[in-house]
Parts: sequence; C-alpha cells; structure tokens
Amino acid sequence: MSGNLRPPPAGPPGPPPGIDPQRIERNWMAISAELFAPQPSRIERWLRRLSVPPSATRLMVATPALRRAWFLALGLVVLIGLAGADSSRTREDLFALLVLAPLVPVLGVSMAYGTTADPAHEISLATPLSGFRLVMIRSAVVVACSVFVLAVASLLTGAVSPLAFGWLLPALGLTAGSLALMTFTTPRRAAAVTAAGWVLAVVIARNGSGDPLAAFTAAGQISMVVISGIGLLTAYQRRDRFDLLTAST
Amino acid sequence: MLVFGAGRRLGTTEAIVDVDLSAQGELITVLGPNGAGKSTLLRCLATVWLPDSGSVLIDGLDPRHESDRLEIRRRLGYLPQDSGLAESATVFDVVDYLAVMKSVGRNTRHPERWRRLEVMELLDLVGLAEQAAEKVGSLSRGMRQRVALAQALLGRPTLLLLDEPASGLDPEERARLRSILGERRRRATIVTSTHLTDEAEYSDRILVMAAGRIRFDGSPARLAALAGGKSWIQSTRPVDGSTRTFWETSDGRYRCLGTPPSGAETVEPTVEDGYLLVLNP
Repeated sequence: MSGNLRPPPAGPPGPPPGIDPQRIERNWMAISAELFAPQPSRIERWLRRLSVPPSATRLMVATPALRRAWFLALGLVVLIGLAGADSSRTREDLFALLVLAPLVPVLGVSMAYGTTADPAHEISLATPLSGFRLVMIRSAVVVACSVFVLAVASLLTGAVSPLAFGWLLPALGLTAGSLALMTFTTPRRAAAVTAAGWVLAVVIARNGSGDPLAAFTAAGQISMVVISGIGLLTAYQRRDRFDLLTAST
Repeated sequence: MLVFGAGRRLGTTEAIVDVDLSAQGELITVLGPNGAGKSTLLRCLATVWLPDSGSVLIDGLDPRHESDRLEIRRRLGYLPQDSGLAESATVFDVVDYLAVMKSVGRNTRHPERWRRLEVMELLDLVGLAEQAAEKVGSLSRGMRQRVALAQALLGRPTLLLLDEPASGLDPEERARLRSILGERRRRATIVTSTHLTDEAEYSDRILVMAAGRIRFDGSPARLAALAGGKSWIQSTRPVDGSTRTFWETSDGRYRCLGTPPSGAETVEPTVEDGYLLVLNP
C-alpha cells in the first residue's frame, strides 16, 4: 500500500501557526511563577488575612532583622503586659514597667531600619520607595504591634489599672523623638540617646516630686504628645536623610 | 546622564574630584585600581550619595530634589559592590522584596502576579529559576552575585549601574553577564566598574580612574592604542629607567611597557597595556 504522506519533520514540533512563540514562553513562565515560586511565609499569610496588602506585608517582614525586631517587641511587651496586669502591684512596682515599656518600640524601630538592620539597605535606597515612607511603615508596624499585644495581654489577664497604660503616650513620644534623632546619627545611637534621656528625665521627675510616677501624670503625658509632634515634624523636614546613604543610616 | 565637576569627600579624602561625564545609550566601564573612586562615582550616579561639589543630572533630573531623585530611581537599576543579600531569605523573596520597593507591576490589573512573573523571568535570565526556593545563604558567591544582578534588572531600567558585577563569577557566568549586558545596552545606558581589563574590552567606552580623577575617557581600541610602540618583549630582565612596568611571561621572557630600546621586539598593544601606561605615565 502506498500513499502521499510526507515524513514527519525532524525535531520537536513548533507552535501551531499563528501563535507567537514568545507569548507561549511568557505564559509558561507565568505558570511557573505561580507553581514554583515559594509561597509567602506564615507571618505574611497571617497579615494578609488581616487585609494588609501583599506588597505592604513584604516590606514589613522581609528582612530577618525586621522579624527579630518584631519578635523582640512582642516578647517584651507580653512580659510587661502580664506583669502590669497584676492589680495588686503598688505604684513603686509600676515604676519599672512604665519606664521600660516605652523603650520597646524605640528599640524595635532602631532594629528595623538602616545598614545594620537591612543587608540590602544600599540597594533599597536606590529604589523609588521614599526612605521616610519606609521607616514610617516599619515604625508604625512595630508600635501598632506593641500596643495590640499589650491590649490583648491585658484583656486576657483581667482587670488592669489605667496607670498600666501610662506608657502608651511616652512610647509614641520616644519613638518619634528617636526617628528625629535618626536623621542626625545612626539608628542605634539615636535609640541609645533617647533611652538615656528618657530614664534621666523620669528619675529627675521622681526625685523632684517624691512620687515615683510623677513623669506619668497629665503634665507628663501632654509633654509626650508635644514631643511626638516635634519629633515627627523634625523627621519629616529632614526626611532626605532617610533617602541617602550617610553615617546616619 | 550628565556629570559636571562632581566631587565627593569621604572624611579627609577626596574620593572623586572634578569628574565630568556625559553618556547616553552605551556601555561604559569604569576601570581603576582599588580606592580610585569607582564606587563613589557609581554611588553618586545611583543617587544614594550626593556630590559635595558639582552636579549630577539624569534625564535632566537633579537628585538633590526629592521628587527628581525618586523619579530617577524609577529608571534605575543598581548593583552595589557589597550587595548584602539576606542569607536566611529565599532567592525569590530577596528579589521579590526589591521588586515591591521598585513598584514592579503596580499599574497592572494583577500587580502581584505581574511582579512574581517578572521576578521569575529575571531569575531565569540569570540561570537561577531552579534555585528560586533555596536560601541565599546556601548559594555560592557567583550565584549570589547573579541574584544581585537579577534585582538590578527589575523594572526594565534605562540606567543600569553595576559595581564590580563580574566579581565572583566563573568564566561561564561572565559570558552570561556579557550576553545580558550586550542585550540591555540597546535600550539602556550601562555603567559598570571593574579592575579587570579583560572585562572592560567588551564595553563601548572605558573611563580610567585614579586618585578620584578620570585619567582616560575613550574606546577600548583607543586605550590600547596609547601603548602602540610602547609595548615590547625582551629576553633579559629590564634594568634601565625607561621601562615603566614589566612582568615575566610563561616562556621566561619579559613583557615591558615604556620607551623601548632600539631594536626591541615590539608587540601588539592590549587594553591592559594602555591602562597600565595611563596609571604610570
């Protein structure tokens, strides 16, 4: 039996006529990206469930230093929250808690930005994401996380003295002050100066009035609101320093 | 890209001094010894440092102004000398993180899918698609350098700045790098730095820097031509002062640069010969 069939072409068949091979390759790459690229970490998935946009979650938890800052802040605040929730504590007992708690977000922020925190800091500086915006996102995450965990810990452990929340405004004030100092020096030095200044101020207020919680009265809280405003304004006005590779990064 | 009289001090040292440069749509290699100012120049072009004196303009934009600086960075791909990738992160996550910072896929209907696609395409381009889920810490130095190169190519930059991109790459990887740069030079201005003269031979233009100043600016052929008639071979070790530099070759003879003695056996000059003569005038 004979026919007119031509022999098959050598090699693999090409794409059907009219189909762009580059388009096929790109589609295949898109499928590969979905199938083979690693899935987001557990923390990222958890944040996404809370409706945080995927790009924002990546900025929040991308570097190990950021995750360390998170966990440190979480751990310390849980401890402080649990200790502060004990309603039998005296004002003297609360003193240490109220002095230390506001320093947690300061420490977290100092660990979340700069050359020592982010190995790819120089590369990230050369991207169109404003350095000021990035540091504010990360600071907000650390502060929000600290406040959230303390609130949950407080609710879980029962009655809480309102004084136990006296650290909240100082935390915001000190974080803002630290951000402002970061435009002059390295994040870690800024945190150290802020912490030293805070402890000194609290001890002076205590010794001057005889009340261990003198710094946490209404006047003290208002002054922290003022410091927050001045700190954020200074950081904003000097925001160029977050965009450039300098000794302060 | 225009640079006018740019200078930058690092402490008490003048890292770059009075640098003038203009470039558009070409592959430029900055060649120079360690401490010549190559990285400082690239950092100024990448807008992570501002020059203390003079100015840098990219597409007419001045990085001293915040809005201009961010606009320049939209068009920029940058690979610093120390790319510092997070070792505990996966290859994909490292590049994807920087893709987020570069807003890759932002104006598309499915930003995340688009971004992941571009990340995978670039990992494929540098030959690391199969290592996407591996930790950066488990990669060789050359592979890490390719991850860093992939991030620099994100967002199809029109200005690509690569500080020592061939560092740690084996010959096969260097060939891949040359191929990528050869393809990108058609649509971008590329500035790379190196202290390896053989890498510079593939560029359109070479800048030789020493002590923060540009000592030579021209094509590889022109740099080699500077050593025309000043490169020779002799069988005895040179002793006179007219030989600027020399080295012993594999056949036991001496390759010399400088003013050849009468009757010397001159040889075809190379880019390296020209470079050495620029550094030792």
